[in-house]
Amino acid sequence: MNLVRAELERLAARRFVQLMVVLLAAAFAVTVVTTLAGSHRPSPAELSRAQAQAAENVRQMEMTYDRCLRIREGSLPPGENDYLPRDCAQIDPAQIEELPSAADYLSGVFVFAKEAEPLLYFLIAFLTLFGFLVGASYIGADLNSGGVVNLLLWRPRRPAVLAAKLGTLLGGLLGLSVLASAAYLGAFWLIGQASGLVGRTGGDFWPSLGAIWVRGLMLVLLAAALGFAVATLGRHTSAALGTVAAYVVVWELGARLVFQMLEVGRPDRFMLSSYLAAWLSGEVRLWDNNACGPGISGYCDGSYTLTWTSGLVVLLGLTGALVAAAFTVFRRRDLI
Amino acid sequence: MSAVIEIAGLRKTFHTLRHGRRVAVDGFDMLVEAGQVHGFLGPNGSGKTTTLRALLGLVRPDAGRMRVLGADSPEHLPDVAGRVGAIVESPQFFANFTAHRTLRLLALAGGVPTARVDEVLEQVGLRDRGDERVKGYSLGMKQRLAVASALLKNPELLILDEPANGLDPAGIREMRDLTRSLAEAGVTVLLSSHILAEIQLICDHVTIVSRGRRVAYGPVEEVLAGFDQHQWRVRVADPEQAGQVLGRAGLSVAVAPDHLVVTGVEDPETISRTLGEQGVWVRELVPLRPDLESVFLELTGGHEHVAVPRQVDGAPPSDGVIDLDVRESREVDA
Repeated sequence: MNLVRAELERLAARRFVQLMVVLLAAAFAVTVVTTLAGSHRPSPAELSRAQAQAAENVRQMEMTYDRCLRIREGSLPPGENDYLPRDCAQIDPAQIEELPSAADYLSGVFVFAKEAEPLLYFLIAFLTLFGFLVGASYIGADLNSGGVVNLLLWRPRRPAVLAAKLGTLLGGLLGLSVLASAAYLGAFWLIGQASGLVGRTGGDFWPSLGAIWVRGLMLVLLAAALGFAVATLGRHTSAALGTVAAYVVVWELGARLVFQMLEVGRPDRFMLSSYLAAWLSGEVRLWDNNACGPGISGYCDGSYTLTWTSGLVVLLGLTGALVAAAFTVFRRRDLI
Repeated sequence: MSAVIEIAGLRKTFHTLRHGRRVAVDGFDMLVEAGQVHGFLGPNGSGKTTTLRALLGLVRPDAGRMRVLGADSPEHLPDVAGRVGAIVESPQFFANFTAHRTLRLLALAGGVPTARVDEVLEQVGLRDRGDERVKGYSLGMKQRLAVASALLKNPELLILDEPANGLDPAGIREMRDLTRSLAEAGVTVLLSSHILAEIQLICDHVTIVSRGRRVAYGPVEEVLAGFDQHQWRVRVADPEQAGQVLGRAGLSVAVAPDHLVVTGVEDPETISRTLGEQGVWVRELVPLRPDLESVFLELTGGHEHVAVPRQVDGAPPSDGVIDLDVRESREVDA
């Protein structure tokens, strides 16, 4: 426990961590200030105008749907500009996930319910980057500076020391992420209350936002563990950064190009970015260019789906393997 | 006396892509007993630091047996780690931390009362600078901080690798006094250093390593005595004439412009009597004793000769070491 306390203090005292926290706070402040400056509480007139526009839009959608049904039944001839999906249910307003609302027609008004998801994704992206960099530099700098050797002279149990470091990193990061996201979303909710609109937060708004948040936190922890593991294996912070850069250039860009030239089917399933997107957004729908070749007649759906479960398996498996390798190598390594 | 450090047949080879295979330690043996201030000497690259790192569990040896305070290392090192203070080479500290914070975090991690921090800062003369960031420290101050970190545990065994690195003469003297006071308090000290005069002043025992093998060990006085050629510097009015007198008497003499050096004479009376009988009067007769530096250079100089292990303290030989009588071994080298 003492070791964890000492490591937590060491982690918090690191300049790089402090710099990243300051950057997070600065980004947070800038976003809040610009949002506040660009938003106002809508007047009753603005609100009723927006509500009327939304109602009109919904009415238009209902009419289009009704027309589609009648054309399909043959009771109405199709017009030149009619949009006719294969199945009219696709444009059934009753089945549409989110109908137009007044918020869509309010200009210069911050609507929390509309902005919460992209704001949360931004926070997750920042925290993921933060986690990876801090994870890599925390162990990388310690290995490089002799800090780990110092510690091992006091606690000559390598797995315990490395586990304490990793545990401290993940625990600290989780705490910071929870606090940051609560403060972040709370602040924007207050802006919505005071200088905009909160919007429709009923139904599955909070459960859906909560699911993104949980998956985001998991991603932050995985990124930190990954950075920590690669830096441990490479003995240096730059090993982690170099590995990521090399992966992106060689695999995500280079190999993707090669797959396209060789007309490999479903190349996206070999890319980590696909699983990352699947995990974060719940599922990702990808298109296989080779599925509907010239030989196929009739309707061809070349799309396929990666779900969050496959995303979790791949990301967890990769991180777990690298962390296990880092512990194995560190246990046997000569510290010179 | 009980053994505090026992090393037998330690072997370590490093393999690197750039340099290939390099034997750092090759069947090395060492014995440090309780209460000793033991000097550990060897040229750069002779295997001193690798030995210390292996002893402290930082490097995995290829072969050999090591025990620290009776515990096998590295298997049972955690059982005795709280009683061993060590610095290996020049430890680095976080530049932005103060000395006080650095030591407090170490104390916290090691379960040592943080009240010890002020005590050790006082011991190494950093009490007034303890709240300054390490990045503002000179090399010597960083070295003192390293020693302070080793003292935090109030150790029974203190292992110091080049503790005088970067210290000014006053700092070296303070470090010497500190080492002495620790030894007087019953702490066993293993001191690796290049400053041979320091080792000779501080240490009572010494182990000399060359090319990864022990080439001499024992009490400092006995190691030096083993290399004593019984030389005397003689000053007389006419060195040339005196040289001829002593030569005729069968003594080995080297004549310099203002003095003579006579070798292989145990009793100085032989010289004064021989000269006196021929009417040559001695103005000065001084024994020329070997110092640790000359012994060290003879044993390790240039790495050109194959080092022959020698034992001078009558201690039981360790595994794999050929023990030779000092005189015989010197003749071998000669």
